[in-house]
Amino acid sequence: MKAAPFAYVRPATLDDVLAELAGGDGKVLAGGQSLVPVLAMRLGRPGTLVDITAVPALASATVEKDGYRVGAAVRQRAVEHDPAARAVPLIGMAMPFVGHRELRSRGTVCGSLAHADPAAELPAVACCLDARVELAGPAGRRTVPATEFVTGAMSTAAGPEDLVVSVTFPAAAAGEGYGFAEIARRHGDFALAGVVTRVRVGPGGAVTDARLTGFGVSDRPVTRDVTGLFDAGETEHDLRPATAALAEEVVDTGGDTHGSTGYRRRLFGVLAARELSRGLRRARDRRETA
Amino acid sequence: MTALSDPVSSRTHPAPRERVAADETVEIAMTVNGTEATVAVPPRAHLADVLREQLGLTGTHLGCEHGVCGMCTIMVDGQAARACLLFAVQCEGADIVTVEGLGTPDDQHPLQRAFSAHHGLQCGFCTPGMLMSSYDLLRSTPDVTAEELPEQMSGVLCRCTGYRGILAAVDDVAQTYPDGVPGPKACGHRTLVGRGSGGGSGAGAPAGEIPAAALPEQVELPSGPPSAVVEVTSTLRSPVDRVWTVLNDFDLLARCLPGARLTEVLDGDRYRGRATVALGPVKLSFDGLAQVVERDPAAHRLRFHAQGADAGGSATRADVVLAAESGPDGGTVLTAHADVHLTGRVAQFGRALAGDVSRRMFEQFAASVDEAAETGSVTAPGRGAQLRLLLGTARDTVGALARRGLGRLRARLRRP
Ligand SMILES: Cc1cc2nc3c(=O)[nH]c(=O)nc-3n(C[C@@H](O)[C@H](O)[C@H](O)COP(=O)(O)OP(=O)(O)OC[C@H]3O[C@@H](n4cnc5c(N)ncnc54)[C@H](O)[C@@H]3O)c2cc1C
Ligand code: FES
Ligand code: FES
Repeated sequence: MKAAPFAYVRPATLDDVLAELAGGDGKVLAGGQSLVPVLAMRLGRPGTLVDITAVPALASATVEKDGYRVGAAVRQRAVEHDPAARAVPLIGMAMPFVGHRELRSRGTVCGSLAHADPAAELPAVACCLDARVELAGPAGRRTVPATEFVTGAMSTAAGPEDLVVSVTFPAAAAGEGYGFAEIARRHGDFALAGVVTRVRVGPGGAVTDARLTGFGVSDRPVTRDVTGLFDAGETEHDLRPATAALAEEVVDTGGDTHGSTGYRRRLFGVLAARELSRGLRRARDRRETA
Repeated sequence: MTALSDPVSSRTHPAPRERVAADETVEIAMTVNGTEATVAVPPRAHLADVLREQLGLTGTHLGCEHGVCGMCTIMVDGQAARACLLFAVQCEGADIVTVEGLGTPDDQHPLQRAFSAHHGLQCGFCTPGMLMSSYDLLRSTPDVTAEELPEQMSGVLCRCTGYRGILAAVDDVAQTYPDGVPGPKACGHRTLVGRGSGGGSGAGAPAGEIPAAALPEQVELPSGPPSAVVEVTSTLRSPVDRVWTVLNDFDLLARCLPGARLTEVLDGDRYRGRATVALGPVKLSFDGLAQVVERDPAAHRLRFHAQGADAGGSATRADVVLAAESGPDGGTVLTAHADVHLTGRVAQFGRALAGDVSRRMFEQFAASVDEAAETGSVTAPGRGAQLRLLLGTARDTVGALARRGLGRLRARLRRP
């Protein structure tokens, strides 16, 4: 399986990248871990690959006042081993599930967002945390919330001439706890169903805000405010009836050979209850240690 | 704003590159197993193909070519990566280690020894990928536990399910080296046999002719172990001084080599020529350069280096020593020793086959030398004629030669 011929360019600056993308015949090449298989299977035949890895402005990850900002050329494995990324615990929880080590050494965080596979982990983390995606294009720069960035299966708010410049994940605050779980056929495969949770507690320890994102269950990550679910109780057991009902509404994938809709609903319901309750426990721990 | 710690910012990011057109070929310089290598590639050539076809490093296997199976796993800038998901054009300045760099048959890496001790090899197809993935794991996470191994090694698939042995081997090495497994043992300077075009990936040299510019002025021999060592001893009827006359006349000598033709005599005892080999569906036409590096009339010894490249992506280099000694009944014992380095399609025959073909050629060569020594010229197997080597007909060939009364051939093939 060989890619059809394409031209290749590796610009030095962001402006040059945008100039190469102008016209719409170019395709961004970041880590290539999703794009190259597409080319190899001749599912796509872009005229030019615009390699963004030589642009210094895209090559670093930094902690800023509004969170952890990851440039478009920063690889997943670099973030995985970056002590500064601990500011966002969910990154550390989700990253081992993004493909395999050998893929994370090339794949980028922004590339995963831009590719927007419905079963991918990082777009779900970005949605649950309300991360901000920075775009640059012919119309200038703009910032889009992750939940609005992903518009469907492998579809995003970025147009063919746009570049995802960075994504900023909000840093964890005191009294915030997280949960992450997925079920895949084999470690490193895309999830059959997965959930990401963020639970906030007030000074008294009561839940003030809870958010849940499901992935692998629809054409895009599905995010819900689930604060009200805790009204029935706090344990996994207490939460189960409500998460089962939520699964009926949220899981709308048609199912495939690896799992029917019903199976995925059940997975989602169980994982959601477990990770919400785990998120709450951690939120209380963090409130105490903070 | 806090600048980031090393792992993120110090990852090698390549220098910019001007647009390369789809049908264009560019030169990419990288370090492969400790040696500088420059390859000429079209943008769409992936690294695994380039390693295999242009650099002869066929240890990197290909299964799926879309990132799923892990067969092609190699180290790029200190981290494991899929060579099939990386275009060679992206690798300017990259530091690459393949399974060939991990260890040699004589000096294996601890992982290689452990794979064999724990029966982690069945058919061996996944072995290079497993070795490179586990090497990456033990370099980056020396304290990995046995429980974590199935998950950590899940990036490479073994199709004959040798997993238990493989995991036992990796665990053994992890425990033996708690502070990190030793580095690659076979990285160092050696000449990689490169080629000037994009291999089977479309663009590149037009079929047929190799541009003359692709042939260097001097033959440079690789310093790594040869693909095959061929040693043939033949007893000839002609006396040793007559045989030496043939060996000393490069034009006549070339005509004795089946399928070979001298095209140009250069200064410095250098010769350009062409050799054609046809083997079943394979037809290779090598344009080459030979350079005599030693002529010893007293010892009747001739040594030359030869180099040839085929438009289809095969290359061969050889260090050849021919020595004639007085034999029984006034005849001559002619010994030919050749260290043969093969890359490209021809190397994919496997060593045994490649060595076999080379040996067969030397047997026919010896017969022709005898004929030339006797008559002053060569007929069969034909000057300039294309050599047809039919596999499995060694006995026929020897029988035919014997019938023609050209002497008794004794051949021995050693494999490195
Ligand atoms: C066998 C295998 C298993 C995998 N398993 C998983 C998994 O379990 N979970 C998971 O999440 N992912 C998985 N992936 C995909 C993952 O490895 C990639 O990290 C990711 O989807 C793409 O990142 P990348 O940097 O390699 O992007 P590329 O492949 O370079 O690009 C992907 C797409 O995004 C576009 N793009 C990339 N960067 C930008 C940008 N900055 N701006 C605009 N557009 C951009 C490209 O043009 C392309 O269309 C898997 C891949 C393979 C091959
Ligand atoms: S050949 Fe590269 S992963 Fe299968
Ligand atoms: S040993 Fe045969 S594929 Fe693994």
